[in-house]
Amino acid sequence: MFKDLDPILHSQLRLAVMSLLISVKEAEFTFLKEQTNATAGNLSVQIQKLKEAGYIEVIKQFKDNYPQTICRITPAGITAFEEYVKNLQTYLTNPK
Amino acid sequence: MEQEKKLTEQESLHLITMMINKAKESYHDTGIGAIMWGAVIAICSLVRLSEVHFGYKLPFDIYLLTLVAIIPQILISIREKKERKVKSYDDPYLDYIWLGFGIAIFLLIIIINNIFGEWGSWANEFKNITGKPASFRFSEYVAPLFLMLYGLPTFITGAACKFKPMLWGGIFCWICCIIAVYTPIKIDLVLTAVSAILAWLVPGVIMEKEYRSYKKEQAKLNV
Repeated sequence: MFKDLDPILHSQLRLAVMSLLISVKEAEFTFLKEQTNATAGNLSVQIQKLKEAGYIEVIKQFKDNYPQTICRITPAGITAFEEYVKNLQTYLTNPK
Repeated sequence: MEQEKKLTEQESLHLITMMINKAKESYHDTGIGAIMWGAVIAICSLVRLSEVHFGYKLPFDIYLLTLVAIIPQILISIREKKERKVKSYDDPYLDYIWLGFGIAIFLLIIIINNIFGEWGSWANEFKNITGKPASFRFSEYVAPLFLMLYGLPTFITGAACKFKPMLWGGIFCWICCIIAVYTPIKIDLVLTAVSAILAWLVPGVIMEKEYRSYKKEQAKLNV
């Protein structure tokens, strides 16, 4: 039985962000932008969607008088990511 | 990267693998701290060796250089933390391991100085009674104690960061520790200097090179 892949994660940029955040404790917005080669606007929108889904937490603070955005994956995000990978493996091992 | 591009299952898996690898590769230590400590310990050991070999004494203890080196180390740590855009899960543990190492070294110095104090008066007493100097020399066993401690955080850091030069550097410190138990003080000092070079200076130079090439790559990507 195939489960539907999580629509929040089954999108290129959001999946890229989640894959980066699953490997680290936390990352700055600029790091995510560098690694995904996305524009700041696109990335902000997708990060907001992940935040609304409860998959990541976003911390806005100041560092040396400059605004700094830090992203961190939540326990719900880790569970969703693991479930997504599990479902993905099911699709790949038992193709339709 | 397009914002809402739907992916095939293969593309998803490929993207996940690629991003996880990118995140792993993004962690780069500048290596400056390791270079500095490798150089400082090697210099201290070699200067002490020359004091022992040529029979002169500097007006100050050369190992005080290690205390002076704490100041740039603090500044380096603050700067590296500020520049770091990613925090890994290992970061706080490694910080605590190196802090614990620093405290252990400090405690070992206190213990050794106390033993020297006690031992000196006991050795004098022995000489007065027997007319012969004591055959046991505690100073021969100081270097192995330090080498044992040097190996521990170096080995753990090398293993945790999957950085082989440091892992082997830690093992080399322990091999030198065993050898130094059986060798005279001059050889002990050479072993300490070589250990500092192989455990910290050389891995530090490799780290610094990798950090520079990573920075160059990032600069190229962002042009």
